[in-house]
Amino acid sequence: MIEEFGIILVRGIGLGAIYTLVALSFNVVHSSSGILNFAQGNMFVLGGFIAFAMSSQVEFGPWMWLAVIPLAGISIALLLTFQGWITLLPLKNSTQQNSWIITTMAASTIIGAVMLLLKGPWAQTATSPFTPFNVLGTRTPAPYILAMIACVFWYVALRLFLTKTLTGLAISALSQDLEAARAAGLRVRRLQLIAFAISGMVIGTAGYIVAPIISIAADTGIKYMLNGFIASVVGGMGSDIGAMIGGPLVGVLSMFAIYQFGGHFQNVVSLAVLVLVLMFKPEGLFGRTSARRV
Amino acid sequence: MTAATLQNAPHARQNWFTSRIGKDATQLWLGVFLIIATGLAPDLLDSSYWSHAFQLVNIFIIASICQNLLLVDAGQTSFGNGAIFGVAGYAAAIATTMHGVSYPWAVVLGLIASLGASVLFALPALRVQHFYLGFVTLSAAVVLPELAMAFNDFTNGIIGISLNFETLHQRSIFGVISPMSLMIALITSVILIVHALMRRSMLGRRMRVAAESPEAAQALGISPGVMRSLAFIIAGLGTGVAGVIYPMIVGFVGPTSFNLDISILFFFAVIVGGRGTLLGPILGVWILYLLPNILLAEFVNYRLIAYGLVALLVMLLLPDGIVGGYLNWRHKKQHGGKRLDLNVAAVLGTQSSALSKAADASAVPAIEVRQGRKTFGKVVAVDNVDLTVRHGEIHGLVGANGSGKTSLLNVFSGFSRLNAGSLHVNGVDITSLAPHQIARLGIARTFQTPRIFGSMTLWENVQIGRDARSGNSKAPIPESAVEKLRETLGEGSPDWVPHGQRRLLEVMRVALQESDIMLLDEPAAGLSPDERKQFGALLQQLRDQYGKTFVLVEHDLDLVWGIADRITVLDAGRVVASGTPDEVAGDPAVRHMFIESSHA
Repeated sequence: MIEEFGIILVRGIGLGAIYTLVALSFNVVHSSSGILNFAQGNMFVLGGFIAFAMSSQVEFGPWMWLAVIPLAGISIALLLTFQGWITLLPLKNSTQQNSWIITTMAASTIIGAVMLLLKGPWAQTATSPFTPFNVLGTRTPAPYILAMIACVFWYVALRLFLTKTLTGLAISALSQDLEAARAAGLRVRRLQLIAFAISGMVIGTAGYIVAPIISIAADTGIKYMLNGFIASVVGGMGSDIGAMIGGPLVGVLSMFAIYQFGGHFQNVVSLAVLVLVLMFKPEGLFGRTSARRV
Repeated sequence: MTAATLQNAPHARQNWFTSRIGKDATQLWLGVFLIIATGLAPDLLDSSYWSHAFQLVNIFIIASICQNLLLVDAGQTSFGNGAIFGVAGYAAAIATTMHGVSYPWAVVLGLIASLGASVLFALPALRVQHFYLGFVTLSAAVVLPELAMAFNDFTNGIIGISLNFETLHQRSIFGVISPMSLMIALITSVILIVHALMRRSMLGRRMRVAAESPEAAQALGISPGVMRSLAFIIAGLGTGVAGVIYPMIVGFVGPTSFNLDISILFFFAVIVGGRGTLLGPILGVWILYLLPNILLAEFVNYRLIAYGLVALLVMLLLPDGIVGGYLNWRHKKQHGGKRLDLNVAAVLGTQSSALSKAADASAVPAIEVRQGRKTFGKVVAVDNVDLTVRHGEIHGLVGANGSGKTSLLNVFSGFSRLNAGSLHVNGVDITSLAPHQIARLGIARTFQTPRIFGSMTLWENVQIGRDARSGNSKAPIPESAVEKLRETLGEGSPDWVPHGQRRLLEVMRVALQESDIMLLDEPAAGLSPDERKQFGALLQQLRDQYGKTFVLVEHDLDLVWGIADRITVLDAGRVVASGTPDEVAGDPAVRHMFIESSHA
């Protein structure tokens, strides 16, 4: 029992770290443009796909593996910037401010379908160059631990970027008041694209790092995206610290649901959490309440 | 009166149905024709492949029509309608195969199940909107196949449930048409007609108001939550109808029948075909579902790519969808540069009913605020205000920007609640009522940014006020005046009305609402001097003939001093002066505030 508890806790937090990474990558784009990218889940899986492609092509050790992390991040960042550019196109004329819900959903569908066509409905798995760790007396596959490290790394990096660099501050300004930022002469579109790129770095590296513990398939992404969103809502939409707390909460709960009820119920439990939070505390743990305008 | 030249064909003498459908008629009949033709032609030509394909296409059209209703008429983004569809199909299939229920009863059970599912969808929609709702419903669509696997005692898991409806597929009617094809074509047509009728009904209009501006809806006494729930229930039932037919066509339900793809299909079909158009869902399903079927029959997997690519291209090139894009193009060609001058006074003002001036300009004030205080954080927007508005008076509310005029108006109409103090209307304490409840007590309002709905005709924009009548007004607007207004405005588009005059549309809406108290937020902004004069006369006439009470927030001091019975001057949330125009004008504090600045 104690051992199972350890597994639920450690892997739950590891899984939650993945959700947090998804949530962090959501937040960057959301704060700069109000967009929540529905394709984020498939971008995540594409990051994992890079790891799979590498590990199936060549035999390579931990150092080589580490060296490829930035490469994975940059590849997905480029792809996401392109997607962001397309998403922002119809937003120029102000009549279609909600078109992004549809365009990002379409992008998600396209990426998923391409994966399905290329690889078929069968899931691929990447192999990890690291041996499992021993945490709290349980053998834990390395990616769970690496996900937690990546999580902390990106949280700190984003924090520094958004508060200490000029570009980061400008992106923060967008989240406060888009019109004022535009009036102040900020190049809004370019900043938003940079936000998409950063989001791609986060999600691409995340997918690459945890590739060995996810099934790399067309229908995986959407589930990680949904759980990342749920983590975001639990913590408070747009709050990075909220994401750091919300992710592990949802992760441990997911693990518990798998252990207690079986894998088919993991997403049902997450959905129930989402609905309950939205019904009773829609601003989440760390969210800002926004006033209604008349 | 230039307005009368607008429409040369008033449709007063047409029958009930045609006048109901209005400009949608062409699309509706074309849609019904297409559904029935494609539903029956394959049977007539004895092509079982196409019979099957179009049976499926038609029930997908049903589901997309419901998605259209939900997305456009009710403004709800749902990515999970496939789950409602699936729940209905599963429930019917389980009932009939495992519990031996006859299929008609299984259909009823399936519909009840879809109703349950749509209530589950509606619950979060009461609290959250937009992408939040998109994510919740998307999760539901992801979860359904997993649940079907998890409860394999009921669903047979991955093996699924097989059913046999062979006899319905026989071409037994006149030896050429199968009951199945006929039934589906008819049901699909009926659902399209129901949607068309609903759009032009009072319920449909209210839904659209609630979707486009919850504030305007509340000001008209509509509860947006009720509208959303109703929309989910109606759309859910319709989707359920499609869902219970599905097993009859395919003869099988399994977890793969109802995966995310089908929700995506329903949603994108509406986008691609044209949001808010009747033909949209039909065209959308054809393009997304049928086209890959014809062109790439052997590559089922290409279908998803087609969904995504077509939806993306349409969003970039034709944001209103194919039908919507065509309608816009035709609209521009026919009516480009058309301009319509509104003349409220000319329409409403010619009536002179012998109404005795409201007898109860008496003891009980129309609106009474005592020690009203409203703060936003540290900002005190309304600072211990005492204010009385008497029945049958035009009460001007003036002051600099940020002096609390609109804040006070928002308090009157319930959009913001006093932190301290009390608010009475006709002697009833309304301090803690919701806006739509206050509206129903007979308080109407306009907004600083007029809430004019481009998706509605000019008349509909005004008619939503008429819909909101409480019916117990002391002085109803005569039917003949309303009829005249209806003929003048007709099927025209709000785009024709110059921006400055759009708020007059809102004033007309409020007038038809027949509330005894009307709150007007800068109604004269954007009007020409002549129009202002007419507008002022109109307010006086409404006051004198119909006994209306007005609270008028306005920057045009000449107008206010010209028509108001009493004026209250606000500064930094406080009442500086209150009284008749002459009293207020003579007040030294007020002179100090206005004389220098207003003539600067």
